[in-house]
Amino acid sequence: MKRYDCLKLLAPMVEEHMFAVTSLSTNAPFWFNVRPQGPNFFALNMGLCLPFALGLTAAFPQRKVISIDSDGSLMNDSSSLITVADVNPLNLVAFVFDNSSYAFMGSTFTARRTDLAKMAQGAGIPNSGTVRTLEEFSAAAKQAMASTGPHFIVAKVEPDAGRVAADRSRTSGRPMREWFMDAVRRHPDYQNRR
Amino acid sequence: MDQQSVKIILDTFKEEGIDLVVTLPEEPTFALTEAVRQDPFFTAVTVAGEGNGIAFCAGAALGGRRVAFVTGVAGLLVSSWALSQMGMVYGAPILILASYRGDFGDHSGIPGSQLLMFKQVAEPLLGALRVPYRVVNQKATLKRMLQEGSFACQDYSHPIVLLLSGEVLW
Amino acid sequence: MKRYDCLKLLAPMVDKHMFAVTSLSSNTAFWSSLRLEGANFLGCNMGLCIPFALGLTAAFPDRKVIALDSDGSLMVDTSSLITLADVNPLNFIAIVFDNGSYARMGATFTTRRTDLEKIAQGAGITKTGTVRSEEAFAAGVKHALETTGPHFIVAKVEPDKERVKGDPHRTYGRAMREWFMDAVRHHPDYKGGKKGD
Repeated sequence: MKRYDCLKLLAPMVEEHMFAVTSLSTNAPFWFNVRPQGPNFFALNMGLCLPFALGLTAAFPQRKVISIDSDGSLMNDSSSLITVADVNPLNLVAFVFDNSSYAFMGSTFTARRTDLAKMAQGAGIPNSGTVRTLEEFSAAAKQAMASTGPHFIVAKVEPDAGRVAADRSRTSGRPMREWFMDAVRRHPDYQNRR
Repeated sequence: MDQQSVKIILDTFKEEGIDLVVTLPEEPTFALTEAVRQDPFFTAVTVAGEGNGIAFCAGAALGGRRVAFVTGVAGLLVSSWALSQMGMVYGAPILILASYRGDFGDHSGIPGSQLLMFKQVAEPLLGALRVPYRVVNQKATLKRMLQEGSFACQDYSHPIVLLLSGEVLW
Repeated sequence: MKRYDCLKLLAPMVDKHMFAVTSLSSNTAFWSSLRLEGANFLGCNMGLCIPFALGLTAAFPDRKVIALDSDGSLMVDTSSLITLADVNPLNFIAIVFDNGSYARMGATFTTRRTDLEKIAQGAGITKTGTVRSEEAFAAGVKHALETTGPHFIVAKVEPDKERVKGDPHRTYGRAMREWFMDAVRHHPDYKGGKKGD
């Protein structure tokens, strides 16, 4: 199944006051295409997406926080799964789009022996599973959005067909942070801790 | 990195006896690591995290293998814990080739402020970790730098970093 | 069961040409008091024991390399298990002494939700086990030493009663490295030392 189709299905489930965090890779421009508004933190580098999202759950415990990660990124720091399990945030929904590729640079470990949902279960996240079709993805996402978490969903997707152009002023680095902080400061739950 | 630079590096690795090359793939050096993978002379190892990568290289190097680690500034940052141990504490002879991203003209998919950070942080980071490094940005001097870097690696018994930039990288 | 008793069972099974790598923690002090000969790399800091041992397997593919790690250390970098599964070195044995503690600084994640053996299986290592008695430990390591790996064994042990420190001139840092490299250079399989070293 295709990553973009999954994200297109997910976007309407994410309400305006929910948070989304993406890794580097097409997760960023694709997510921006389907959900440009609301508090989105785009394009975190390897290993940082899931722990950053976890931190957001501590700042906004009453809102769903959706992590949109990639297999290579998560595997760079798989210990973050242990931290997630232990913090046990009820509002975290963590997706990993597993295309078994490092961008266009060859296959990752999930093409061979590694099973990320199993690692998550070992870490101690009981609601962990793998989905392979759009129907399965849709059902799992709906269930995760409608129940307490944490949820960990590995979506097996095809490698992307080509590079995707993105508006770097919205999805990249320091400029992106400005848009994110703007949304955060206007968020009804925001408590400015001095 | 073009095939000319790739060839210089692979030929020099062979002359230096470096037959184990470890990496986590990254874009600017991908042509190199892919060529290593295709060449039966080399044992190519892919690691899940650069921290594992540096520790792995140290075990192999102290055990007597000639080893090179191919990464970028991001990988140096991730592996800085392992580098502090394997460099300053244990003096493992590891030759590290790292893409020196973030100079003007790097229009890659990494966010701009990350590129800026890579450029600003790379040299002070290596200085702080006491890892000797040189910036290599000319094809004319690439071979000599690899040879001298490899020699220094064994001579000092220490990791050595060659920061690849300019026409060597792009 | 006690970590020291396990290591005492293991030491005589390790022949002089095998390699051992220990993490910081009483693994280092205990192991150094039990196995004085051979190549021992002692006192690896957090997260580095398993990947360093993995690198040693690339230098000595015909000898068993035994990583003696701790739960806290491994959990700093569980990605090393992914790398381990992929490299798949037949001569590798990891024994993780899981006492559920960061030295004397409180409980780790394995006392709560985390199961290291299951993480290893998820990473792709098939020959795994968790042992809770000395009999099971002895049987597990004997099997690992006699068959191809990689093997991954979690040994559930009690927290140590006191702090134990090894001889700093043998078991830590640069001084330890000297002893290790001496053993490495005298190893019959050593292939280093070429080309003007």
